[in-house]
Amino acid sequence: MDNCKHIPLRTIESTPSLPNLDRVCDMEEGRLSGKVFWDQAIYEQELEKIFARCWLFVAHESQLPKSGDYLATSMGEDEVLVVRQKDASLKVFLNACPHRGNKICFAEAGNARGFICNYHGWSFGADGGRLLGMHESKCYEESNFDKSKHGLREARVATYKGLVFATFAADAPTLEEYLGPMTWYLDVMLDMDEGGSEFLGGCIRSTIECNWKVAAENFVGDILHGGWTHDSAAKAMLGGPVANVGDLPESYSVNWNGHGYEFATDVVGNAATLGEKDINKYLHVLRPQVAERLGEFRSKLIGSISSFTVFPNFSFLPGQNTVRIWQPRGPHKIELFTWVIVNKNAPQDIKDKWRRGAMMTFSPTGVFEMDDGENWEYCTKTSRGMVTRYQDLYVGLGMNTRIENSELPGNVFKGQLNECNSRAFYQRWKDLLQSPTWADVPDRNGKMR
Amino acid sequence: MSRVLLCQRDELSSGELKKVSHGAAEDICVYNLGGTFYATSDMCTHATASLAEGDLEDHLITCPVHWGQFDIRTGEAVTFPCEKHLRTYRIIVTDKEVYADIEHASDAALADA
Repeated sequence: MDNCKHIPLRTIESTPSLPNLDRVCDMEEGRLSGKVFWDQAIYEQELEKIFARCWLFVAHESQLPKSGDYLATSMGEDEVLVVRQKDASLKVFLNACPHRGNKICFAEAGNARGFICNYHGWSFGADGGRLLGMHESKCYEESNFDKSKHGLREARVATYKGLVFATFAADAPTLEEYLGPMTWYLDVMLDMDEGGSEFLGGCIRSTIECNWKVAAENFVGDILHGGWTHDSAAKAMLGGPVANVGDLPESYSVNWNGHGYEFATDVVGNAATLGEKDINKYLHVLRPQVAERLGEFRSKLIGSISSFTVFPNFSFLPGQNTVRIWQPRGPHKIELFTWVIVNKNAPQDIKDKWRRGAMMTFSPTGVFEMDDGENWEYCTKTSRGMVTRYQDLYVGLGMNTRIENSELPGNVFKGQLNECNSRAFYQRWKDLLQSPTWADVPDRNGKMR
Repeated sequence: MSRVLLCQRDELSSGELKKVSHGAAEDICVYNLGGTFYATSDMCTHATASLAEGDLEDHLITCPVHWGQFDIRTGEAVTFPCEKHLRTYRIIVTDKEVYADIEHASDAALADA
């Protein structure tokens, strides 16, 4: 790691990639097999070649305002602590002692001077993660133990406009390269207002018995399900059906490196589902300022019918302002952590309405999330059948709709009823599983149909 | 009487502390608490740790390693995992300087510290 050179790490070679991945994931033809949602061996490969390697969302800076503030989360199945340092920077450490591997912090969040392992009293400073001392320290000293060679395992950390990402891969590209031109679209959510964004306090936690990719792919580019899956929920919240997305005059799907964003330009289509008129009003009033800040085009996206996934498992819905991470817990289960993101400068009553709206729609009791949960669980569970598992699933919608020479950044496709982002997501997934190092990961940008 | 120079009287503000190494005996930690100086052994009685790197709040010094605490006036070990009391030193203050009398504990010291 760049920033913990003092700790000598013994690394392991990448394991061989699995055979037959081309059979279960063929994005040239738009075909996928449910085996990728069920198979334990594939899951182990994902932990190694995706979650131990990609830049993963770990926090929003607003969650850690003061020195010593920390929160516990995970990067794939690796439990980590995100800690605000004395110099105001952020560090991410494994939440595991380098002596016997015991978990060192059991709280979800707080402020601490350090972390002491319950097992043998190894003590680590919150600032820097260095090993400060041990119970029965004299015995270690008699065996020439060098404390400076031991400390919490540190990840690389980088931020983008409040979002904090980390990776355990020394050879990963920079976060800037990893996100590429998708930051232009992230700004719609993160930078529509001069004060920037913040997470409202509290986190909604739930579990869904589905594969993590089913959820991530739903947000990367599937509004196709909206009008059908969510018909009754929309009628409950809006008093009418979901807008007929296919009839919207202008919409796009864009992707890059497996990240994807599908969006209409209808300003408040997503926001309207919260059933809070004041939120729509707030966005309409703010929009001229957003147009000055980000341009007319992006001002039409601040609450429009849209969804976004940053590969592999960080997603959000503009307008509903729900931000979530789909944490893999085995191939058949995710732990879902959901927050509400708002403009820091928004009035308190608007923030409260967003919190309430998010709870009503996209939470375990939310009318939309319940619709999705059952579908996702059965997309996963049917794959336990050996014949079902190899069925050729169709992911071909929108093939050959890429817009050449678009003025918009990224790989741009016509319309949001389009599976191009799903294809780009699964292609990236397969490319990572087939690449021994980051240098081997092929660049598909501009090349996919 | 064997004296060790700890610091100048104006060197530490209230709430500050520092470690003093000298040839004659163990390292000493000197504290200024509201204008009154105190001195204790710098080494925690539980494990290897310099108390001068810990946090001083009122009369309690918190060890930087396992967060045990001692009362710097008496040397009393008050918080787990510290169970053995801390050695204290009698303070001698002159016009400009602060000394420890390394042959005597502070008047308030616990008998077994």
